[in-house]
Amino acid sequence: MRKGRILALFSNFDEAFAAISDIRHYKVPGVSVDDVTVISPIEHPEIEEVLGERPSHVPKFTLLGALTGVTFGFFFLASAQATFTVQPQGGKPVIPLPSNFVLMYEMLILFAMLFTVTAFVIGARLFRKRKSLYSEKVSLDQVGIELEVDEKYIEPLKELFNQHQALEIREEVIK
Amino acid sequence: MSLKNVFTDWSRYRKGIEEGGFHDYEHMWGMAVDLNKCIGCNACAVACYAENNLAVVGEEKFYKGQAMHWMRIERYWDEPDLGEDRVKEFNHHGANFIPMMCQNCNAATCEPVCPVAATYHTPDGLNAQVYNRCIGSRYCSNNCPYRLRFFNFYSYYESSWPEPLHMQLNPDLTVRDKGVMEKCTFCVQRIRAAKDKARREDRKVRDGEFLPACAQTCPTGAITFGDLLTLHTPGGGVGETKVAQMWRDHQVELGKTRQTKQNPELRGYRVFEGLNTDPCVMYLERVREV
Amino acid sequence: MQSKDINEDIRWAQINEDVLRSLENPRMGYWVAVGVCLALLALAIIAEIYQYRVGMGVGNLNWPHMWDLYIATFIFWIGMSHSGTLLSAILHITHADWRKPIYRFAEAMTTFTLMTAALFPVIHLGRLWNMYWVLPYFSDRGIWPNFRSPLVWDAFAIFTYLTTSALFLYIGSIPDLAICRDNARGWRKKLYTALSLGWRGDDRQWRNFRKTYLVMACFLIPLAVSVHSIVSSDFAMSIMPGWHVTTFPPYFVAGALYSGCAAIITLFILLRYFFRFEAYMTMPILDKTCKLTFAIAMVWTYLNLIEFASVWYGHDKVAKELLIAKFTGPYSPYFWAMLILGSVLPFTLAFEKLRTNIPVMFVVSILLNVGMWLERWMIVAPTLSLSYQPFAFDVMWANWVQWFIVIGSFGWFGLLFLIFVKVIPSVSMYEVKEMIFHRRHIANKDIAAVMHRRATDPKPAGGQPSGASGSTPGTPGLEGA
Repeated sequence: MRKGRILALFSNFDEAFAAISDIRHYKVPGVSVDDVTVISPIEHPEIEEVLGERPSHVPKFTLLGALTGVTFGFFFLASAQATFTVQPQGGKPVIPLPSNFVLMYEMLILFAMLFTVTAFVIGARLFRKRKSLYSEKVSLDQVGIELEVDEKYIEPLKELFNQHQALEIREEVIK
Repeated sequence: MSLKNVFTDWSRYRKGIEEGGFHDYEHMWGMAVDLNKCIGCNACAVACYAENNLAVVGEEKFYKGQAMHWMRIERYWDEPDLGEDRVKEFNHHGANFIPMMCQNCNAATCEPVCPVAATYHTPDGLNAQVYNRCIGSRYCSNNCPYRLRFFNFYSYYESSWPEPLHMQLNPDLTVRDKGVMEKCTFCVQRIRAAKDKARREDRKVRDGEFLPACAQTCPTGAITFGDLLTLHTPGGGVGETKVAQMWRDHQVELGKTRQTKQNPELRGYRVFEGLNTDPCVMYLERVREV
Repeated sequence: MQSKDINEDIRWAQINEDVLRSLENPRMGYWVAVGVCLALLALAIIAEIYQYRVGMGVGNLNWPHMWDLYIATFIFWIGMSHSGTLLSAILHITHADWRKPIYRFAEAMTTFTLMTAALFPVIHLGRLWNMYWVLPYFSDRGIWPNFRSPLVWDAFAIFTYLTTSALFLYIGSIPDLAICRDNARGWRKKLYTALSLGWRGDDRQWRNFRKTYLVMACFLIPLAVSVHSIVSSDFAMSIMPGWHVTTFPPYFVAGALYSGCAAIITLFILLRYFFRFEAYMTMPILDKTCKLTFAIAMVWTYLNLIEFASVWYGHDKVAKELLIAKFTGPYSPYFWAMLILGSVLPFTLAFEKLRTNIPVMFVVSILLNVGMWLERWMIVAPTLSLSYQPFAFDVMWANWVQWFIVIGSFGWFGLLFLIFVKVIPSVSMYEVKEMIFHRRHIANKDIAAVMHRRATDPKPAGGQPSGASGSTPGTPGLEGA
């Protein structure tokens, strides 16, 4: 079965959300709300209530990065100092903990940030070619709904979107 | 990098100066300067210039404060503690002077601030300066309460020893280029030579076997140089050097911020020891007729 | 005076249009500004080449004045970088939405002032060609930097802060770069296509974006505080009177936020005037920024007084002598100037008449920063001139070499900032849209609903489509198009 992709543009969030609400209530049999992607110029503050909870794994990576940074920091500094025993200076020990804590703190933040950004790039699916259905009006002021469904659902969806005053509907067939 | 090293020797790496420090000291070079004997003749400073290839910067740069005087006679004309009236009288008795050279502190404030570890503490108890490693951040000089570190603001060698004066340069140590910090080393080249000689002859370095240029030159013998290591052992014993004997006589000890003397009449003191720098140079206070 | 932070009836298309206009081909004035910056930078380059070839002595540095204007200016620039973080991170997590139109250029300022500040530790090195020795890299000889030194902490802190703040600035502008991409032509199209990383604004991207932005904001705050604490450690970790001060870390952080906020006011006024951003950089926002600056100025003043008091009552002879010398000695004119500019002048910010007068605020904000620069210099120089060893007491005045490099750093910063305003939108378009949307549909509607309920029968508002709470069908959500 061939798959198709459809993008409908609405002039505001309310109309788009009404359309999603209809999909949620299975007005188009076979299409579920999980297939819906909302494309918008800003993030609507209550979008979860429309789309349902969708996960984001960024904070887990942050935690992982922070832990990596602080452990790596400690062992890196300590082992560097242990091989460089010319270090006893000013009557201080070879491995001075207070100053190492300062650097471990910096490394914690650095690694946490790098992991977070990596997680963002992966999680948000950046660095990919934009799909051909993208409309430049979305970055201006329109709200889009995109679905990737079997070809047979395209027509009923179109009808649904037109009911909700869609300004423009684009579709394409994926091979 | 060796993680295993960290775990096996952890307790050793955690020893600060209070627990004896990381080093097993071979020596602890130190000095005693008797200000009663010092006549302020500056011979020590001249000897230091000759021995250590110190740049002669010329009048203009000297006034700008860019001179290199590892060893200097500091001269003071007033003694505020005496009170207004006495200062005048004091002036008639002449200046007060003190020879200052790097105090080779055991808890040196200059060492931990160096970003590249160009200055560090040797097992000889010296505060060493590695010219090759120095990047010239000048933090060490800023953090030296004695202000005994000097910076090569220019490539002084270009004009400091016009021919044929360059022939007098000491071949045992380098001529420093611009951008590095330098300071008194207790004539480390002489220490090295003496240690090498002793090792070849399979013996220990004898007390008085060699002297730094300043001590060697001092016409009144005000500067005593030697090994302070025996100070740490109670009673001293057979190997007690002359300088250690002087420290012991004046009841001055290493590792203290304030000396507790049984006899307060004793003249020995260390400069700014209250700052906990633990300097290895002891001064004997001048006794004045007033 | 206008009472709202922003006019909620601005059309979204209008926002795009206004902001994108600021990126368009520059006018003559812009090139003049670039020329001035390049000229200033050239002065610094000439001075630096001279200093590099001859030695550090050419700037009049001497014994004991081993540091002077370079380090003072380093602290000045790094301090200025802190308010970008304050505005974007702290105000972000406290939901102060008036930050939204002005945080972008503040963040850019953070990044660029850091890039300026990072030059100074390099410039001030005696052998700067060996500066990479400060970095921890594997060497066959097993040589490492000295992790005990506050200067190495500086290197770590600056690297971390620069990386993080640059990423924060960049990630925060990805949605705007996508807007630029959709509207650009020619080389700009290619540039923004690459920079926007394929952003299209779908819900997955927004969701991850929001989390990432929040997490980064949360980490930036302690980072910013730690960075300036570490810079203060350059002094506080030393043994010198006037430097060895326990209150230095908070004092430096307060001073940093202070000078940064003053710089934000300056740039605010410049951008508002030159790019005609009156609709976004509104007077109420300037008013709020000024109040914030005033509060921080008072914190700074308080910490100053604390330092004086603790030195005075601590009765450490040397430190006390130094404090007295600051008030009466050769540096006293500058010290008094710092106190007047830093603690007295900010009282102009307390009066609404003055703080809403743009020319007055422009002058005041620049003078505040002059005061803060003097503060940094007054930390560095007097201690060096008057420390423990009386033989080394000395007063030194910097000559043209040092001044040229200091002045040139302003040219360098100006150049970076001028490039920025033409490449990245200096007002965050998507966040202004969010701000307007939020105020219209969430905040104001709550009030409207309350008013409505009071006026009529307390009847529960029903009939909303499931899931679409917070927005009633029929209300025009967005305008324009």
